[in-house]
Amino acid sequence: MSPRALLAEVLLRILHPVLLLASLWILLRGHNEPGGGFVGGLLAVAASAAMALTLTTAEARQRLPLPPPRLTALGVLIALLSGLPGVFAGQPFLTHLWVTVPLAVTELPLSTVMLFDLGVYLAVWGAVGGYCLSLLATVEEQQ
Amino acid sequence: MHATALPLALVPATLFALLVLSLISVPLPWSVSWPWIPVLGVDFALYVDGLSAQFLLLITGIGTLVAVYGAGYLAGDARRWRVFALLLLFMLAMIGAVCSDHLLLLFLFWELTSVLSFLLVGFDHARESSRKSAQQALLITGTGGLFLLAGSILLAEIGGSYSLRQLIAAAPAMTDDARLPAALTLLFVGAFSKSAQFPFHFWLPNAMAAPTPVSAYLHSATLVKLGVYLLARLDAAFSDLLFWEYSLVGIGTLTAVIAAVQTVRERDLKRILAWSTVATLGTLTMLVGLPGHGAALAVAALFFAHALYKAPLFFVAGNLDHGAGTRDIDRLTGMRRHLPWTATAALLAALSMAGLPLSFGFVAKDAMTLAKVEAGVFALVSHATLFVGSISVAVAAVAAIHIFWGRDNVGRDAHPHEAPVTMLLPPLLLVALAVLFGLQPTLVDPLLGVAAQAMAPGFDPLQVDSSYDAWPVAEASLATFGFGLLIYLGWDRLRTLLDRARELDEIGPESWYWRKLKFVPKLAAWLTRRLQHGVLPGYLLTLAGAVTLALLAALLVGRPSLELPSAETLPLPVVGSALLIATGALATLLVRDHLVLLLVSGLVGYGSALLFLFTGAPDLAFTQFAVETVFVVVAATVLRRLRQLPPPLQVAVSEARWRPLALAVSIALGSVLSTLLLLAAAQPFDPQLSDFFSAQSVPAAHGRNVVNVIIVDFRALDTLGEIAVVALALVAALPLLKLSRRRSS
Repeated sequence: MSPRALLAEVLLRILHPVLLLASLWILLRGHNEPGGGFVGGLLAVAASAAMALTLTTAEARQRLPLPPPRLTALGVLIALLSGLPGVFAGQPFLTHLWVTVPLAVTELPLSTVMLFDLGVYLAVWGAVGGYCLSLLATVEEQQ
Repeated sequence: MHATALPLALVPATLFALLVLSLISVPLPWSVSWPWIPVLGVDFALYVDGLSAQFLLLITGIGTLVAVYGAGYLAGDARRWRVFALLLLFMLAMIGAVCSDHLLLLFLFWELTSVLSFLLVGFDHARESSRKSAQQALLITGTGGLFLLAGSILLAEIGGSYSLRQLIAAAPAMTDDARLPAALTLLFVGAFSKSAQFPFHFWLPNAMAAPTPVSAYLHSATLVKLGVYLLARLDAAFSDLLFWEYSLVGIGTLTAVIAAVQTVRERDLKRILAWSTVATLGTLTMLVGLPGHGAALAVAALFFAHALYKAPLFFVAGNLDHGAGTRDIDRLTGMRRHLPWTATAALLAALSMAGLPLSFGFVAKDAMTLAKVEAGVFALVSHATLFVGSISVAVAAVAAIHIFWGRDNVGRDAHPHEAPVTMLLPPLLLVALAVLFGLQPTLVDPLLGVAAQAMAPGFDPLQVDSSYDAWPVAEASLATFGFGLLIYLGWDRLRTLLDRARELDEIGPESWYWRKLKFVPKLAAWLTRRLQHGVLPGYLLTLAGAVTLALLAALLVGRPSLELPSAETLPLPVVGSALLIATGALATLLVRDHLVLLLVSGLVGYGSALLFLFTGAPDLAFTQFAVETVFVVVAATVLRRLRQLPPPLQVAVSEARWRPLALAVSIALGSVLSTLLLLAAAQPFDPQLSDFFSAQSVPAAHGRNVVNVIIVDFRALDTLGEIAVVALALVAALPLLKLSRRRSS
C-alpha cells in the first residue's frame, strides 16, 4: 500500500460530486456555449480517475452509476434511440425534434438532441473511464 | 428408429406438384420480373423455358426423394435438422439459379449454392478430411464464381444487357467483338469449376465426404449440372462459334477420359460413382459444344437419364454403407441375399447406366450417337466417347453384379441387413421411372423437346425422328457393351496397372492445388514476421516512414509552387502558446527519464490547447485539455506498469541501433509536414462550409455553439459511429487488461 495522501483523499471526497455536477453542466450548456457530451464525458472520466488515483479503483468503480460496459452500452443505445422519433415523424434517422415546455415565467426548450448528447456523454464516460480504471487496477494490484 | 424428419419432404413434394400442375395448364415460357436495384439496373427477373423446366422438375422431384431418403438415412442423428435446413435452402438457391434471367441474379444464386455445398460437404466437421474437402469445394467453385461474375460483366458490356434472353437475341451482332473470346473464357472457367471439368475435376470425388443423400442430390443430380446448364443456356447464342465448339468438345472429352480412367482406380463405391459422374459431366459439356439439333436433344436426354440412374446408385451406396457397414467394393460381394430390394434397384439402375435396350439410358445413348453422327466429330472424340461409354458399362456391372451376386464372403460378425422402407422407395421409384420411360420414350418426348428447343431454337422433334439411322447406334452400342464387359472382367488387373502409374498424380492439378494451399499459410507467416515483428521502434519507423511517403506524394502530385503565407503580426498569447509548444518539443529530445518525458510532452498538448483557445476555438481547447489530462493519467499508469514487469521484458531492444534511421525519418517527416502546412496556409480559405454552418446553426438546429451543433445534429450519424468505436475499443481492451492482471497475480 502506498502512503496515503490524506488531504487529497478528504478533498476529493468533497470534490468528486462537484466535478460530476460540473461535467453535467458542461454537457447541458454545450448547445449554446463551449461544452457538450464529449468534453463533459471526459471531465467525468477525470473525476473517476482522480478518485482511483487517490483512493482505490474499487472505490471509483463503486461511484459509477453502472459497471463500465453497461454504462457504455447504455450511452450508445440512448444515442441510437434518440434518432428514432425523427424516423417516426417521417424524416431521416437522427433528425432531431424540438418541443417547448411553457413554465410559469419562462419556457423550457427540450429536444432529442439532448438525449443524443447524453448518450455521447455516457458512452465516453463508460468506455474511457472503464479503460482507465481497469488499467489503474493492474498497477494497483502489484503494490 | 423413427424418420421424424419425413414430413419435411412435403416441402419439395408440394413444389413438385405445383410445378407439374402449372406445366400442364400454363404454356411455357413463363417470365416475371420485379425491379430490385433500379440504380444499377438489376432486376429480379425470372424466366422459365423448357430447359429451366426440365431442371426444375429434377430439382424438386429428386429433392423430394432425397428428403424421404435422408429422413431414413439420418434417423436418430441429432444433426439431421441442420442437414434438412441446408438441403431445403440449397433447393431454393438451385431453383433461383435455373430460373434467373439476369446474369447478376444468376451469379448470386450460383454463389449461394457454392456456400451451401460447403456447409453440406463439411457436415461432419469433426473430421479433418471432411473439412478439407469442404474447403476445397468452396475454394474451387467459389473462385470459379468470381470468374463467372467477371465473364458476365464483360459479356453484358459487349451485348449491352444483363438479360440472358436479350443476350441470346443479340448474339449474332456480338460474334465480331474482339472481347468475346475473353468473356467466354471467363464464363468457361466459372462453368467448368462448378461442373468439375478439367482442370478443376478433382473436387467432386473429394466432396463425397458429404452424407450420401447430399451426394445424391448435390453431386450428381443438381449442383454439378449447374455449370453445364449455363453452357447449355448460352448454347443458343454461341453454338456457331468455332471457339465455342472446340473449347467445349476438347475440355469435355478430356475430362470424360481422365475421369473414366480414375474410376477404375477407386475402391470406394461412392468415389467410383463420383468419378463416373465427372465423366458424364464431361460428355455433357462435349455434347453442348457439338453443333446441330441432335446434340441439343442428346443433352436434354442425358441430363434426364443421368439423374434417373445415378441418384438411385448413390442411394444404393448409402444402403450398403448403412446395412453392410462398408462401401469398399473389394469387401462387398453376394449382397443380394441380405439386401434384395437394394439389389433390385441397383440392377435396374445399372441397366440404364450401361445403356442396354429397353432402358431410358438406351434412349439417351441413342440420341448421343446420332448427335455425333450429325455433327461429324473427329475420330479421336468418337473413340474417346466409346471408351468412356465402356467404362460406364463396367461401373454398372460392378454396382449390379460384382457387389450383389457372386459368393457371399461376409464374415460371421457382420450382420448385413436391408435398409428401411424410406431408403428403398426413392431408388426403386426412380429406376421404375427409368424402365417406364425406356419402354415408352414418347412419354418424355414433350419434355425433352421443349428443353432441346431452348438450346437450339430451330429444333423440330419430327426432323430428328425422320433422319433415324439404326446402324451407327447399334454399332456403337455393341462396341461399348463388349469393351465394357472386357474392362469389368479385367477390372482388378487394370487397377493394379494404373496404380503403378501413381507418379503421374504428382503433376496433376490436384497436387498443384495442395501445393498452392500450403503456400498460403507460409506467405501469411512471412508477412506477419515482416510486419508484426514486435519491435516498437520498428513499428514507429514504419508508421512515420509511410506517412512521410504519403505526404511527400501528395506534395509532389499537388501544386509544387512554393508560396509562403503572408507575414502578419501575431497577438502575444498566440506567440506565447507557440513558444510553449516549441519548448515542450525540444525538451522531449533531451529528457531521458520516462515519467518526466511524459510530463514534458504534455507541454505540447497543453500548448496546442492554449493556441486553440486564443485563436477562437474554445470548444477544441476545452476538449484538448480534457484529453491531455486523461492521456497523462493513462500513459503514466502504463509506464508504472512497465516498470513492474520482470527484467527480460523491460529492455527488449537496444535503442541505439535504431537511432540513425529514426533521426532521418523524423527530420524527413518534420520537413514534409512543415512544408505542407505552410503551403496549405498560403491558400485562400474557402469559407463555404463554415458560412453554411454558422448561418444554419440557430435556425435549423436551435443552437448557438456551431461546433456542438455539427457534432450532435448536422453530423450526428458520424458521432454515433464514433461512440460505437469508443465502445468497441473498451470491449477489445477489457479482456486484455484482465489477462494482464491474471498473469501478474
